[in-house]
Amino acid sequence: MQSKLSDLELIQETLGGNQAAYTELVKRHQRFVFTLALRFAKSREDAEEIAQDCFIKAFRSLGSFQGQSKFSTWLYSIVYTTSMTFLRKKRLDTDSIDDENTFVQVESQTSAFDVNNAENKSRSFYLNQAIGQLLPDDAAIITLFYKGEQSLEEIGQAMSMEANTVKVKLFRARQRLKEKLERNLKQEAKELI
Amino acid sequence: MNIEEKLWNYIDGGCPADERQAIKSMIASDEAVRLKYQELLALNAEFAAIEPDEPPMAFTYNVMEAIRAEQAQKPLKAAINKRIILGIALFFAITITALLVYTFANIHVAPANINSTLPFSLKLPQAQNLLTRPVVNAFVFFDVVAALFFFDAWLRRKKKAGSLQ
Repeated sequence: MQSKLSDLELIQETLGGNQAAYTELVKRHQRFVFTLALRFAKSREDAEEIAQDCFIKAFRSLGSFQGQSKFSTWLYSIVYTTSMTFLRKKRLDTDSIDDENTFVQVESQTSAFDVNNAENKSRSFYLNQAIGQLLPDDAAIITLFYKGEQSLEEIGQAMSMEANTVKVKLFRARQRLKEKLERNLKQEAKELI
Repeated sequence: MNIEEKLWNYIDGGCPADERQAIKSMIASDEAVRLKYQELLALNAEFAAIEPDEPPMAFTYNVMEAIRAEQAQKPLKAAINKRIILGIALFFAITITALLVYTFANIHVAPANINSTLPFSLKLPQAQNLLTRPVVNAFVFFDVVAALFFFDAWLRRKKKAGSLQ
């Protein structure tokens, strides 16, 4: 019954003290929030922590949600800021490892993993792998645009950017994703030969 | 803007009608543009088909448990109604004022050149009768409780400020 209610109705119910309504909201958005967090965190454990933190923060500030934007846009802005804070904290923790090194490391790890699981690979596997190799911002923009049902303006709202900046970033992110996908597929073809 | 960017705009439906028409005719007339368009269209379909990752099964339960745990910590703070605090403060304010009035009223300043007799008869209540042992005990008890409460609030504030730094 509750699943038929809109996000706004569920928010009203939650604010009225019905926690089951918020459970429904979490169930509705958890998959995407988790995916978005995974674009930043790169490990499922960290992504789970970020996603959980986001839903708790959203619950705390639910009263301040004006309803002027979509709930998902508002929620994704929380995911974005929480993930950025996580990355900053992580950068401080790891101290000197810069982004490029990290991504080279991730790339080489996944390549090693590939050789052992060649038979299970599909085009979508390579695509996910390529997204994993993108910079967090690029991966987030691609995910928000294609899976988050967000317009360029809404992505801009969530990421505190102008819609035109998002447009340019989306174009570049798609180019990089295409390049990485092609490179991974070429590498795989070489390994099979 | 290069042709690839224009084509992505066209695919996203983000270009104005005249530009849209121009790109459409470019696709129809130029073989290289048509091939590029088909390539981008395929990529677009592929990107759109990305499956979101699935969080652990207990995710919703964990979130709701964390919220419940957070709320369970709150009631002690929330249960202290501000009106009660105001009531206690008011009680102390009245008591202290009454005591001060009583004290000043009992001070006998009688220099030699001042006529200490009042032009009217003033009968003060016998405060000794009011200050019985249970009243004093209750007063001290309230003082101690209030002091502990404010000390606890101060410690909490200090701890919170420390954790934020």
